[in-house]
Amino acid sequence: MGKERPKEVVAEIPSILVLEPAAEQRKRRAAGVEVRKEFQPDLESIKTHLKEIRHHSRDNHSVLLEELQRSLGQYAGLKLAIASDVKQAASYIKEIAGGTDLASINKSNVVINEIRPELEASGFKTYIRYFTEFKNIDKFERKVEDYWALPGLHERGLVESFDIAKTVTQLNSSEVRDYLAILGVNAISAEDGFAFFLQHMSNISKDLQQARKIVLVVSLEKVVQDREAASFQTRSMGIFGLESVLLDLGPKEIEGYDFESLPILAGGQDRELHVLILDNGRGGLVSGGYQDLFLCIDCRACARQCPIGLHLVKKGWVYSPKNYLFGFLQGWLPPTEACFHCGRCQVECPVDIDIPTLIWRAQLEHYVRHGRTWKKRLLDNPELLAKLGSLTAPLSNWAKDNSLLKPIMETLVGLHRKAQLPAFHRQTLRKLIKGGSRG
Amino acid sequence: MAEKIIYFAGCFANYYDPEIGKALIEVMERNGIEVLVPEQKCCGMPMMANSNVKGAAKNFNYNVKSLARAASPGYDIITTCPSCNLMLRKEGLPFFDSEEASFVSSHVYDAGEYLLRLHNQSRLDTHFRETPLKVFYHNPCHLKVQNITKEPVALLKLIPGLEVSGVNTSCCGMGGSYGMKKDNYALSVEIARKVWEEVKSTEEDRVVTECGGCNLQIEAGTGIRGVHPIILLNEAYRSSEASEAA
Repeated sequence: MGKERPKEVVAEIPSILVLEPAAEQRKRRAAGVEVRKEFQPDLESIKTHLKEIRHHSRDNHSVLLEELQRSLGQYAGLKLAIASDVKQAASYIKEIAGGTDLASINKSNVVINEIRPELEASGFKTYIRYFTEFKNIDKFERKVEDYWALPGLHERGLVESFDIAKTVTQLNSSEVRDYLAILGVNAISAEDGFAFFLQHMSNISKDLQQARKIVLVVSLEKVVQDREAASFQTRSMGIFGLESVLLDLGPKEIEGYDFESLPILAGGQDRELHVLILDNGRGGLVSGGYQDLFLCIDCRACARQCPIGLHLVKKGWVYSPKNYLFGFLQGWLPPTEACFHCGRCQVECPVDIDIPTLIWRAQLEHYVRHGRTWKKRLLDNPELLAKLGSLTAPLSNWAKDNSLLKPIMETLVGLHRKAQLPAFHRQTLRKLIKGGSRG
Repeated sequence: MAEKIIYFAGCFANYYDPEIGKALIEVMERNGIEVLVPEQKCCGMPMMANSNVKGAAKNFNYNVKSLARAASPGYDIITTCPSCNLMLRKEGLPFFDSEEASFVSSHVYDAGEYLLRLHNQSRLDTHFRETPLKVFYHNPCHLKVQNITKEPVALLKLIPGLEVSGVNTSCCGMGGSYGMKKDNYALSVEIARKVWEEVKSTEEDRVVTECGGCNLQIEAGTGIRGVHPIILLNEAYRSSEASEAA
């Protein structure tokens, strides 16, 4: 990058900065996220700067990765590993676990969607500690019921602000317990290795304080130029992802492990900090026509708009249309057949990723390679069906509504027997307008 | 009539609801605009949705050639179907780009968007008959993603007496033929419930939406048949003509 190394003395570990909603908001945050009406930053200028940061990351990812490795190599108290896929990542974590099979994980896409299944398969017990944070809230009232009940915060100019709430500069702690914390970072500075987290509850702070071994997971796209860019990207994630955070608020019994109840280790000074850089198909995005996915900051603003999201999140992974597509490209999800191309995911993307086009591309490429089912083929030319229906109306209309024929159509063509089908008109518009054409 | 537009009707207005196309032609003619309907095929989006790339490419290329030729004197291209509009304006370009496709993309307008533009230029005939009607407007996804959300409502409000007392921007879950398929039906219905509940709880006289698929879905869950806004506009013109004749 040609930049001078920071003049400060290199510490044992790089600083880990945890950003939280601004102090006055935290006070009002007992059972949900509040917003400040008076704080109205210029969202367009934030997007412009964020796009600059993301484009730089995408276009220089190899150089940034090398620079990050050099930077991290200067910290004696840190162990660095690079994994090309999740098998390597899980294998590394198992190797350094030191006998424990208990892990706290944060609400990170890469950790939950990619690493967690592999860890569980290796015998680890993993818990998203975020959700246990609700245990002391006696009457949690979930005010947001679904994607459509969201208050449209951006449209009303209501957004959160985020400040640095905690900076971890050393590993000493008197609170250490015997478990692993596997934490996906929101951004990391290539220049000095400073890592940034966004925190809405206090799970990350606690893990940084309490876990005997900390693994910071850095997925390739999280590497940015410098500290300023990392901080800005993390704040932006908070601002644009606020509404998706609201959707996830609420306790989940399945995640209810009480890490606080683990005994505090005597001494507690033999802590370890690992940085695990994970590619897992990301490097290939840049050359494979999906390079814009590299721009994503995982704010999940797109998830708010996606009509199928609410139904897919039940499957235990962090949903966003981008994750849905990326999961397919990585090979752990089937083709994105649940998407019906409403196009809404692009509407609020702060970095303008054209996810609809990328999902089209992935589907089309997949079926060109693997062929289509005959049911897909039967329905792939609706105009032909419409022509036949119009030519044979009203017989076709009788047939489409016939209760005896509907189950046959369901079996043969794949149209649900209860589906509302449109009625054909024998007199098409082209017949109605003289000569069929007016051009 | 000196001014002309090119109409891309799409499958829905051609085969399933020709009244939409007739209304578009009459509304335009009322405003002194001649409507040309060149040869055209399905826009190709349903083929894309069933991963029929070759079919989609064939139709898209056929359409953009035909439309570009017809619109070459500088005419605008108007659609009444939000999905056809999105296909011609944006979705087809990354896959089937050509000079004609770019030309069509930069000349295509949704009917409501176009008519409101005429109004903003003080060129729209606003002699609509008083129409005391409360309507519920459902904004289809394929207009919403093109940021065409306020225009249809603003246009409807030009009809004196007509009140748009409810606006819904949720997805109806139909997605063309997606919601008709056995594999997707349950999910489609689950998504639609929000819209259905809203429509059922309103006391409006009519439900209005541009999308034929949304209309089918709304009808399936509520029994209420929606109407394309161009038909309401035309009705308001027609009653105005009848009133003038009387």
